[in-house]
Amino acid sequence: MDSLHAIGFYVSAAISVGGALLVAFLPGRGARGLALGVSGLGIAGLYASLSADFAGLVALVCYAGCALLIAAPRYRVVDTPVGFAWRQAGGVAAAGLFAVLAYAAYRGDFVEATYRGGEIGSAAIGRVLFAHDALATAAVGALVFVTLIGATAAWRMRERGR
Amino acid sequence: MSAGLVSVLFVAVALVAVGAFVATWKRDLSSALAGLPLMFGGAGVAFAGAARFSAAGDPKIFGQEVAALLAVAALALVALGVGIAGRGSSR
Repeated sequence: MDSLHAIGFYVSAAISVGGALLVAFLPGRGARGLALGVSGLGIAGLYASLSADFAGLVALVCYAGCALLIAAPRYRVVDTPVGFAWRQAGGVAAAGLFAVLAYAAYRGDFVEATYRGGEIGSAAIGRVLFAHDALATAAVGALVFVTLIGATAAWRMRERGR
Repeated sequence: MSAGLVSVLFVAVALVAVGAFVATWKRDLSSALAGLPLMFGGAGVAFAGAARFSAAGDPKIFGQEVAALLAVAALALVALGVGIAGRGSSR
């Protein structure tokens, strides 16, 4: 990885993790949605600096959609009955997860290799998606189909209930 | 200045951990949904990093493929969650 890609990687890493932390701590759905969009921008930049431009484009579109969904006026509040102590335990568990995974990443003895692929690689990814891993692509397509039907049904039921 | 697989995995781990924190810490379930794309993004970054830096494996861009699929899956799950969540008041 040359210096330009490395600078892009570290800037994108700061944007993505900073945006994620803002998602965690900002109040209000609008600010959270904006922070999620910023984090998605950082994640797309990470993909681009890792020579995965096509995945970056897909991530940019998908995270913009997620941000719009989180910030949309149709957003509803659903309070969970879980107590503060359990949520606090969950936060500590997330910190423990970070510690364990970071230690595993630091201590891992990885073999590095020279990357010979292109920058965007959409044709190669398309070949992999539709020829090599067609079942996984079909599964994600089915997931999207089911979620769209489920979301539409839920919205219609809520509108009918008013 | 350079970045290797360990740096990529550190960023991926941070995203996954912050996503898990958002999912567990938020009292509002709809807010907790925002943790899902962060965790999926972290996993995608790890996959893309492994595809970029790893030596073996065929096809070579398997990680990029998984990263793209994870982004689509995250959007679908957030849409489903926002759709089915909530009969309360908007905030």
